[in-house]
Amino acid sequence: MKKTCIAMLLAGGQGSRLYALTQHAAKPSVPFGGKYRIIDFPLSNCANSGIDTVGVLTQYRPLQLNSYIGNGQPWDLDVAEGGAYILPPYLGANEQGSWFTGTANAIYQNISFIEHYNPENVLILSGDHIYKMNYAKMLREHIEKDAACTISVLQVSMEEATRFGIMNLGADGYVCKFEEKPKQPKSDLASMGVYIFNWPKLRQYLIEDEADPNSSKDFGKNIIPKMLAAGEKLWPYRFDGYWRDVGTITSLWDANMDMLSTTQINLFDPAWPIASRSAVCPPHYTGKDACIVHSIVTEGCEIDGDVENSVLSSSVRVEKGAKVLYSVLMPGAVGEEGATVEYAIIGENTVIGRGAHVGAQPDGSEGWGVATCGPDLHIRPGASVPASAMIYTSEEV
Amino acid sequence: MLDFHGIVFAYRTAPALGELVSYRTAASLPFCGRYRLIDFSLSSLMNAGIRDVGVIMQRDYQSLLDHLGSGKPWDMSRKSRGLRILPPFGLPEYHKGDYAGTMEALNAVAAYVRDIPQQHVVLLLGDLAANIDLSPILEQHLRVGAPITAICSEHTPRSARNRYVADENGFVKSARYDVQGEGEGYASLEGYVIEKQTLLSMMARADERNEYRFHRGGIDDYLAGGGKMALAIHRGYAEIIRSVDDYYSASRDMLAPAKRREMFPQERPVRTKSQEGVSTYYGENASVSGSLVADNCIIEGELKDCILFSGVRVGKGAKLENCILFRDTVVGDGARLNAVIADKRCKIAPDTVLTGSEKLPIVIGKGKSL
Repeated sequence: MKKTCIAMLLAGGQGSRLYALTQHAAKPSVPFGGKYRIIDFPLSNCANSGIDTVGVLTQYRPLQLNSYIGNGQPWDLDVAEGGAYILPPYLGANEQGSWFTGTANAIYQNISFIEHYNPENVLILSGDHIYKMNYAKMLREHIEKDAACTISVLQVSMEEATRFGIMNLGADGYVCKFEEKPKQPKSDLASMGVYIFNWPKLRQYLIEDEADPNSSKDFGKNIIPKMLAAGEKLWPYRFDGYWRDVGTITSLWDANMDMLSTTQINLFDPAWPIASRSAVCPPHYTGKDACIVHSIVTEGCEIDGDVENSVLSSSVRVEKGAKVLYSVLMPGAVGEEGATVEYAIIGENTVIGRGAHVGAQPDGSEGWGVATCGPDLHIRPGASVPASAMIYTSEEV
Repeated sequence: MLDFHGIVFAYRTAPALGELVSYRTAASLPFCGRYRLIDFSLSSLMNAGIRDVGVIMQRDYQSLLDHLGSGKPWDMSRKSRGLRILPPFGLPEYHKGDYAGTMEALNAVAAYVRDIPQQHVVLLLGDLAANIDLSPILEQHLRVGAPITAICSEHTPRSARNRYVADENGFVKSARYDVQGEGEGYASLEGYVIEKQTLLSMMARADERNEYRFHRGGIDDYLAGGGKMALAIHRGYAEIIRSVDDYYSASRDMLAPAKRREMFPQERPVRTKSQEGVSTYYGENASVSGSLVADNCIIEGELKDCILFSGVRVGKGAKLENCILFRDTVVGDGARLNAVIADKRCKIAPDTVLTGSEKLPIVIGKGKSL
C-alpha cells in the first residue's frame, strides 16, 4: 500500500503561554470557538483535503487529547487503510528513544510509522492554528514544482514580519533564504508552520540532523536551512485565507472574537465543514429574562442572564442577573446569579460564584489584559478577579 | 450478559399527525430541537445496557433508516446483533395493507423473534416521548417473576387510551381500553417487558384466532388464561405522540425547565445521530426568550417561546412566537409568525404574516415556500 501523502500533526507542545488553560491538558485540546477544540481545524482540513492518514504526535498531558481524538471517527478518519493514530514517545529495545527533543526529532522518532504507509510525501502540521486550508491544492503545487519541500506562507505586514519565520524568494520564485524572526525583514512572506516534504528526502535530512549534536532538531531552525544550503528546491505555497496562531491568551481571545463574524472565517460553509467530537446535549435554552446579542451559543447551554459579544461553548450556564461580556466561556463554565464576566476566558467547568466579578473593560493602561481562570475552579461569591489576572487554583482569589 | 432484548415499534403512524408524517413515520418525527422521537426509546434501552434491538417498520421508513444508520449513536453497532432494522419480511403475499395490529407486526418478523437469544424482550413504542429508567423495571421484572410487566405512567398522557388496574399484590386484575383521560388504575405507556416464550405463544395464538390487536388478541387472552402481569410505574415525563395537537403540546412542554429535566436527566442522556455543526449565532439586534435553539442557526430577529432545529435562519426584524421550525428552514426579514410548525427546508418570504393558534397551529409541509 502506497499513499501519495500522509499527515503528521505536532500536538506535543506544552502550550506554556496559555498558562492555566493548559495546566491539565495539551494546547491542541483547548476548547475554541464554541463547538470546537483547536485540533479540530487541522484534523478537519486533512479529512476535507482527502488525507486519510494522520499521525498525531503527543507527549505533554496527552490524556484528554487521546480520548478526544479516539479513532478519528468524528472527522471521518476511521478508514480501513489509514486513520488517525496517536503517537506518543516510547522507549524501544535497549531503552532507545526519549521524549521528543524538537519538532524534527518528533518525526524522526516516528520514521517507522511513516515507513509503514510508505508515502511519497509527508505533510507536517501544527496543532495550534485556526484556519481552513485545502492541503490537496498545496500538494498539487508541491508536485508540479518538483519541490523537495513546500512551505505554506502568508503575507504579513513588515512590522509583523519580525515575529515570524520569513521566506526570501529568488528570481525563479523558489525560496532562497529562510530567516527566523529577522530584525530587518527582506520579505513579507511568513511561514505558517505547514510543510509538505518529499518523504525520501525528508527521511534523509532527519537522519542526518539527528546525528548532528549541534542541532536543536527543529524544522524551522535546522531542517529547512540545511535543505536550502544543500541546494534543494523549496517552494512557497501562498495562502491568503484566515490564519491565526492561538498560542497566547491574547491571540486565543482575539481569534475567539473573530468567530463572531463570518467575514473573518466562515464556519457555516457546507463545502468545508469543521468537525468535532461532542457529547449530544439538548439545544440551548434561553429563559424569560435572557438577553443574547452578537454572540455564539452552543447546545446544552442554559442562559437566564445577559450575554454580549461572547463565545459560549457547550453546557455553559449563565444564571439570572449574571452578565457575560466580551468573554470566552469554555464547556460547562457557570456564571452564577449576579456574577459579571468581562474581557475574560473561563476554563472548562469553572464556576464563577454569585456576584463575583472577573475581568475589566480596557482602560487604556499598560497593564490591562484579558483575565483568565483555569479549568475546574470555583471562584468564590463576591470575589474580584482583576484584568490580566491568571488564576490557577480556587484559593488564589 | 444482560438477558433482555429490545423491540421498538416504528410501523404505526397516527393519521392525525397529518402533514408532519406525509413522508416519515411518527418514530422519525423531529422533536425538541435536535432529536427524533425514536431516540427516546432507543436511549432508554441503551441506558439500561440493552444493545440488541430490533426496530419494526412497515412503510415511509427512508427517513428512519437515514437516522438509525448502523445504530452507532446508541452503541448498538455491534460485531454480532446490535441494531436490526425489521421491514416486513414474513408477510403473506396477499397482504398489502397496514399491519392489522402489533401482533401482526410481530408475526411479520416472527423468524427474528424466534432467534432472539435473550430470555426477555422489552417492547417499546417508537412514538413515545419519555426517558424511561428501565434498569429498576427490568430488575423488578426478574424479582417479581411474572411473565409480563406492563410499563405504566404515574400521570396520564394526553393520548394514552389504555389503563391497567392492579390488585393489592401489584398484579393486573383488569384492563380498560379506549378510555380517555384519567380514571382507575394507571395509564399504559404500551411498553412491556415480556418473557420471550410468552410472547411467542401470544403471537401464535393471535395468528390462530386471526385477532392481531395487541390487547384484544394478546393481553386479554393471556389474562383470561390466568397469566400474571405485573405493573411497573414510570414517574417522569411521558407523552404518546398521535396527533399534531399531541406533538405541539409535548414540544411546548419541553420549554418548561422541570419537564425538560425529566426528559434529559444527566445520568440518562438521550443519544441521537450526531450532526456537524457550528454554534448558533445571535446578531446585533437579536432577542430571545423562553426558547430552545439547536446549533447551526443564525438569529437576527426575535424569538419568544420557540423551538428551532439545526440550521434555521431568522432574518432581521422577524418576530416568532410559539413556533417550531425544523431543520434548515429560513424565515425572511420582517416576517411575523405565531403558532407555526414549519417542516424541513421551508422558505418563509420576508414580511409574511402567519397566525395560528395554540389550539390549532399552522403546519407548513416540508420544503414549501411561502
